Amino acid sequence: MKEGLIYGKKKVVTGNHAVSYGVLLSRAEVIAAYPITPQTQIVELLSEFCASGLLKAKFIKVESEHSAMAACVGAAAAGCRTFTATSAHGLALMHEMLHWAVGGRLPIVLANVNRAMGPGWSVWTDQNDSLSQRDVGFVQFYCESNQEVLDTTIQAFKIAETCLIPVMLVLDAFVLSHTSEPVDIPYQEDVDKFLPPYKPKYFLDINDPRAFGGLTSPDHYYEIRYKIEEAHRKALKVSEEVDNEFYQIFGRKYGLVESYQCEDAKLILVTSGTITGTARQVIDEERSKGKRVGLLKIRLFRPSPIPQIKEILTKAERVAVIDRNISFGHSGIFCQEIKSILYNEIRKPMIFGFVIGLGGRDVVPDDIREIIDFAYKADYPEEMVYFRGVRL
Amino acid sequence: MKKLDLRVKDYPELAISWETTLINKTGTWRTFYPKYLSKTPPCNYYCPANENIQKYIALSLKGEFEEAYLTILEKNPFPSITGRVCYHPCETGCNRGKFDESIAIHTIERFIGDYGLNFVEPKRRIEKLTNDKKVAIIGSGPSGLSCAYYLLSNGVKVTILEREEYPGGILFYGIPSYRLPKEIVKREVEKLIKRGAKFIFGKELGKDFSLDDLTKEYDAVFLAIGAQIEQELGVPNEEAKGVLMGLEFLKTINLKRKIKDFGKNVLVIGGGNTAIDCARTALRKGAKVKILYRRTKEEMPAVKEEVEEAIKEGIEIIFLTAPVRVIKDKKGKVKGLECVKMKLSEEVDETGRRKPIPIKDSNFVIKCDTIIKAIGERVDLNILPKEIISKRTILADEFGKTNIEKVFAGGDCVTGPKTVVEAIAYGRRAAAFILHYLKNYELPPKEIFNLVDYENLNTYYFEKQKRIEESKLPVNKRKRNFKEIIATLSDQDIKYEAGRCFSCGVCNKCDNCYVFCPDLAILKKNGEYEILYDYCKGCGVCAHECPRNVISMFFEEEK
Amino acid sequence: MRWQFANYTQEYMNQGHLACPGCGGAYAMRLALKALGKNTIVVIPACCWSIIDGPFPLHCLKVPVYHTAFETAAVVASGIRAALDIKGKTDIEVLAFAGDGGTLDIGIQALSAACERNDKIIYACYDNEAYMNTGIQRSSATPYGAWTTTTPRENFKKERKKNISEIIAAHRIPYVATASIGFPDDLIVKFKKAKEAKGTAFIHIFAPCPTGWRMAPELMITISQLAVDCKVFPLYEVFDGVKYVINYQPKNIPVKEYLKLQGRFSHLTEKEIEIIQREVDFNWEILTKKAKG
Repeated sequence: MKEGLIYGKKKVVTGNHAVSYGVLLSRAEVIAAYPITPQTQIVELLSEFCASGLLKAKFIKVESEHSAMAACVGAAAAGCRTFTATSAHGLALMHEMLHWAVGGRLPIVLANVNRAMGPGWSVWTDQNDSLSQRDVGFVQFYCESNQEVLDTTIQAFKIAETCLIPVMLVLDAFVLSHTSEPVDIPYQEDVDKFLPPYKPKYFLDINDPRAFGGLTSPDHYYEIRYKIEEAHRKALKVSEEVDNEFYQIFGRKYGLVESYQCEDAKLILVTSGTITGTARQVIDEERSKGKRVGLLKIRLFRPSPIPQIKEILTKAERVAVIDRNISFGHSGIFCQEIKSILYNEIRKPMIFGFVIGLGGRDVVPDDIREIIDFAYKADYPEEMVYFRGVRL
Repeated sequence: MKKLDLRVKDYPELAISWETTLINKTGTWRTFYPKYLSKTPPCNYYCPANENIQKYIALSLKGEFEEAYLTILEKNPFPSITGRVCYHPCETGCNRGKFDESIAIHTIERFIGDYGLNFVEPKRRIEKLTNDKKVAIIGSGPSGLSCAYYLLSNGVKVTILEREEYPGGILFYGIPSYRLPKEIVKREVEKLIKRGAKFIFGKELGKDFSLDDLTKEYDAVFLAIGAQIEQELGVPNEEAKGVLMGLEFLKTINLKRKIKDFGKNVLVIGGGNTAIDCARTALRKGAKVKILYRRTKEEMPAVKEEVEEAIKEGIEIIFLTAPVRVIKDKKGKVKGLECVKMKLSEEVDETGRRKPIPIKDSNFVIKCDTIIKAIGERVDLNILPKEIISKRTILADEFGKTNIEKVFAGGDCVTGPKTVVEAIAYGRRAAAFILHYLKNYELPPKEIFNLVDYENLNTYYFEKQKRIEESKLPVNKRKRNFKEIIATLSDQDIKYEAGRCFSCGVCNKCDNCYVFCPDLAILKKNGEYEILYDYCKGCGVCAHECPRNVISMFFEEEK
Repeated sequence: MRWQFANYTQEYMNQGHLACPGCGGAYAMRLALKALGKNTIVVIPACCWSIIDGPFPLHCLKVPVYHTAFETAAVVASGIRAALDIKGKTDIEVLAFAGDGGTLDIGIQALSAACERNDKIIYACYDNEAYMNTGIQRSSATPYGAWTTTTPRENFKKERKKNISEIIAAHRIPYVATASIGFPDDLIVKFKKAKEAKGTAFIHIFAPCPTGWRMAPELMITISQLAVDCKVFPLYEVFDGVKYVINYQPKNIPVKEYLKLQGRFSHLTEKEIEIIQREVDFNWEILTKKAKG
């Protein structure tokens, strides 16, 4: 693959390959990944990049996802820019090491293809896998389009390395991962300008031998943990700065959240991932019919963009959160997040929580329309969660 | 961890160390602590002269023979003699004996002694110390000579009165030259002459001078007259012609004179060194020799090697047999000895051995024409004043002090017939006390012994090695001559044998303690070991892995 | 000088570490680092060494240490290796130093994968034959007959010790070796060979635990020598998975001498000791056959 063929051009690529291009442009140094549907194309293309010499990186062919993250931990601790990708059960298997990456303050970038958890086996899109890892401390970005996937991959490395927190970018299985869209592939030199080589603050150095991660007593642990919280708060600001900087160079920005037609909205839909794309279309239609509806896309899930969410949603009368996930015995997770953010506000909207599309069940415009109708008219959200699209 | 003043901003971003464990003084954990404590090896312990055998062997290993020689001389002035005739209890006690074979200490001492005579003494500068004291020593046997040496080394003027015409006592007159050549005795005695000793020969106590004479003329007198009166058998016809006294016999031979009534069929009675010496000497004079002993081989007091050599040379030893009656012919000459068979009873005598009792009606006759009696000696007490004698010997303490002012005694005349090395040791102790008595010199400190047993060693680190063999004249070359049987070995051989020494209780820098410490609490600096008590946890690995039991563990007292 | 060890005068451990008195694992690290030197990065999974190196903010070793999760020693080492190689620092050695649990049980998957990839790391397993750090629970390295907290005397471990050296040798990595801390020179030589290996090197170290074996701490070295001389833990190397070399001819001491020093075997009957002796003899036979060709 010659340089001239890919850089600075518009290419029709799948979501998975968009990730691969993002990683290539970011000049990752060590990649360790284990195949799992529907992530495989990410690492297959990266394998080719490494084999052809286009990407000067070491590709470790690990034997499990737990080991994939462990290998990344080792490589990052030694001072390298590292990347891995996985999905569903792979992410679940990585769980222990996700904690290690966070506690170890390693700027690893992980691409997770949102896929439903078995049994029964499912390869289709669902948010439960990434949201089950909500509390480990990874920064989480939910992407709507392949362009966003590629751009977020590049931004992820910069945010991770600035704040020393690992970053997870999430894309929907098949709807994004295997769907081709036209994508602008940036020039390498522009990316180099935006993302300089990784200069680690802490790394395994034989000239300054230290122990990383030793037994930490209650006298110290709390302070060190607090520093991670500080880093998350920093990440909130840094994500915005990085997004603006990206815009300066590449002309594209996404924001931590995106507010669409929310200015005078009575009802605001809250979505994430590809449902956002479907929702935009329906919002336009409903607006033309006279309904005052708007859309809030949550792009940065962790750290929570609390000020932005508060600012936009407190102006509305009603909020309908659409979750493609369920926390059993409670409600959809994005809905819980929104409710907890708005609870103490003096002016807060009624919040309706909807769960839809589990296990990759298609979410069509009619589904969104029905949600809007319901939430627009209902007196009060009597249920914690409203399931839509399931054959009760 | 103490209550900390560190705030969030003081910490690094992650749990990364900033201090080493050196601040963690794990020495507070322990219940026991190790200490290097040199102990007494059995060779040093069992040597009657308490020679620092381990030290001179270690010096020999490095080839420092002169140093080794001077080490022996601190306790024994005549290693060439003891290296030839000593019964070497050091070898019997040697811990290596329980591993493969004991160290040939005897052989090494002999080498060092000869080395000393050949290379050290000739160039040795003798300090001409003199003081105003003079001491008379009666008898020039090993005890007298030893006492003289130590007194002379401290500047005392010594006169030795010897009743025979040559010095040496039992060394010259008793021990045959195939064991101890006269030349060696002469050269050892020369050490004393070099240091200014005066010898008076041919003068006998009780005949030519009395004790009073000496106490008037000298500042102190040391009695070293030995035990020279030979025991009678106490059987009928003992006075027959051809019945000889052992020591008398040996003396005649050593003076190269002819023996009266010496036949071809000799029977020696006794089991000690004198008996063996008589037997082997008689053999060399052309006789067929048998030895009669009333107990078994194990109980024979003679040096084991001597007994073995006697048997090798063709001497038959008849055990568990005692004399009953000498049989003489019409001319009054010996023609046989009636004997009775003995058995060992359960009773034990004062030497700790089982008492032999005759078996009834087991008498038989051994044909012989010469009988040599060598069943023991006693001290000539008649020539001594009553105050200083007991029933059998002179009364003196371990330093030779007697009840008479200025008069000291040591050696066989105090202990009864014992060994050359014990006599030498006694002479040295007496010399030390005499110096204290005359010049107020400090007595040597009481030695504290901390004996290392075989069980205390860790023999894992030793490999079986064959003991060096002495170079001996073959039996057929020994007939009819008094040539020295054993030759001194080469220095390679000596170094090899010295290498077999375990160095019990004395550190020889094998590095085990330093190598094996899991806490790095033993450092090696400039060849010395240092225990870091700040960190030592008292695990005891160093003590356990020390092959020679140098490290001991002590209980940490409550602080 | 008798010991070659004494030629390596530089130490790479500080005093004050937290090991129990008489800890074989602590001593094994001292020897390993003497062989490998300053240019080493050590990966320590959950095991006694997670504690021995010292609590935060202390550090015992004079080389960097990365503490990692229990089952990840081999793969974190592989990750570090990849990072060092991409940066051109191929002269820095990566040593994974794990216990028997982190090697034979929970860590065997990652170790097997690293061996299959032939990543240039040295994997050292210090084997104290149980999960000692969590309180003496049995592992697959616990030998037949041993008491542990999960194999009490009434139901002592009946399964044989898993032979990890054979399993790893079957991966055909360039260098596999067994070593005992009772033979320090031999262990140091083996680590030096491991450093030269063109790929993964695995060293299985006999590291006694006085606490868990109910043994007097001063016997740390003696028991490590006895284990080899009783043929319980023979010293051998396997080159490329096929060439076996026995490094030391044992003195053939009956296994009873080894067992009687340890409280964890005190309940064994004569019959059970015989079973152990037969197994030990049988394994030795197999090994000698392999070594012959």
